[in-house]
Amino acid sequence: MKLFWFETYKTFSRWRTYIGFIAIGVVVVVSEVVMKLSATEISSRMMKIFQKDFLISGNVLNGWFVTAFIMNTLHIHIPFLIALVAGDMVSGEATTGTVRFLLIRPPSRTRILIAKYLTALFYTAGVVLFFAGVCIVLGLILFGQGDLVVHHYGKFGIVLIPEAEIPVRMFLAFCAAFWSMTVVASLAFLFSTLAENSIGPIIGTMAVVIIFLVFSNLPLDFFRNLSPYLFTHYMGLWQRFFDQPIPWKEIVRSILLLGIHHIFLFSMALIIYRRKDIKS
Amino acid sequence: MKKIFLFLFILSILLPDYVCSDEKTLKSLEAIEKKYAGLRDYTADVHVHFDIETFKTPDMEAKLYFKIPDKLKIESKKIFFFPKEGGFFNPAFFKKEDYESRSVEEAATNRKELKLRIVPKKKDLMGREFILVIDRDENLIREVHLSQVGGRETRAEIEYMKYDSFDLPKRIVLNLDIPSVEPNESIGFGPPEQKPKRITGRIEITYSNYKINTGLKDDLFKTR
Repeated sequence: MKLFWFETYKTFSRWRTYIGFIAIGVVVVVSEVVMKLSATEISSRMMKIFQKDFLISGNVLNGWFVTAFIMNTLHIHIPFLIALVAGDMVSGEATTGTVRFLLIRPPSRTRILIAKYLTALFYTAGVVLFFAGVCIVLGLILFGQGDLVVHHYGKFGIVLIPEAEIPVRMFLAFCAAFWSMTVVASLAFLFSTLAENSIGPIIGTMAVVIIFLVFSNLPLDFFRNLSPYLFTHYMGLWQRFFDQPIPWKEIVRSILLLGIHHIFLFSMALIIYRRKDIKS
Repeated sequence: MKKIFLFLFILSILLPDYVCSDEKTLKSLEAIEKKYAGLRDYTADVHVHFDIETFKTPDMEAKLYFKIPDKLKIESKKIFFFPKEGGFFNPAFFKKEDYESRSVEEAATNRKELKLRIVPKKKDLMGREFILVIDRDENLIREVHLSQVGGRETRAEIEYMKYDSFDLPKRIVLNLDIPSVEPNESIGFGPPEQKPKRITGRIEITYSNYKINTGLKDDLFKTR
């Protein structure tokens, strides 16, 4: 535990760690202010498909909707921000030349790696929590409360979640978002144990995420069949908490599959790092 | 010459029937118009239940304000979806001068009912065809079938109750059969689907607490 807090202190002492929080702040604040300024346009565009058949009243564009809307961008920028720190966890020591100093101390390599891994997960949780906090608080201030309308653009269908159910579902959705983002952290962490500098793991992680996302979204049968084998396929897990009824079976399956990814990636990192010949 | 005679002969057979059917239509619509001539406005509580596969919503409640000829306002604290076509009762909607008759037939029910097929003359209602099932004893529209361009089909079944001296809807059941993707919406470049899936389902609208002719002001219907 002491090692974990030591690693956490080290991580949060670096200026680079806060880039993620600043970036999220900018993305969310600018998005929500612009959405507020063009609220009428957004409302009419998103409800266009229903306006022919229905009179719609009530606050559709509310804080909860805006939060869910911005959450759709989660898989674009958050993996990069996580890779920025998780990719630096181990390789950063090599870059600064402190790795030998670190490893001659009494704690074993395994304990040091576990502490660093937990710190990476702690940072990931911090980023997701900050993202959730800014989105919800600012969203509710600017747009007010109301029921949540989940609508897939261009399709004649909605899921309407009553306001009373939203906080619990939102909490579960952000927990799911954290769980899927930790796979990115685990991947960056694995790459970090392989490299001697931080750039490689960060770029490597982003390359894998981008390639998997592209493959997951290409509308061709080959990629559709391949998609369930890529972890990016489960990054939209949080969206399942806004289905009616909540597909628990599918959620549990996705959680387990992502968990297997964590175990595999961290085990690989551990095996590699324990056998690694430290030269720097 | 023969052809002209033949044409005149066919015309002489068809015309009286056409004129007769038009008269029947006009009479039926006129009778309804007369029946509701005294209805200027109404307010009611509405309860909407969706039974559509793609519409996963709890039941919705709102207050509905209506004023002749076509002013409508929905008031709800929560998000509320209310069907525009056939979801509410507008006695002035089927005015005889606004429609052309296409056919009239006796409906095959126990009641004394008439089935009118009419098309609107107004430009903003073009591309629609209505089939009305009219109860001739009570002068009530029992069913409204609406077919629209693009394959949209709606059927409204209306149950009435007496409120003050007017028969007003107690329950309207809307049966929808519409295309799932709008014709002008892109569906991507994935493998071609066999046939665009259609969305079918029911919307049940229950009316209660009618207040009739309370003198609703026009300002109430102005959108802010």
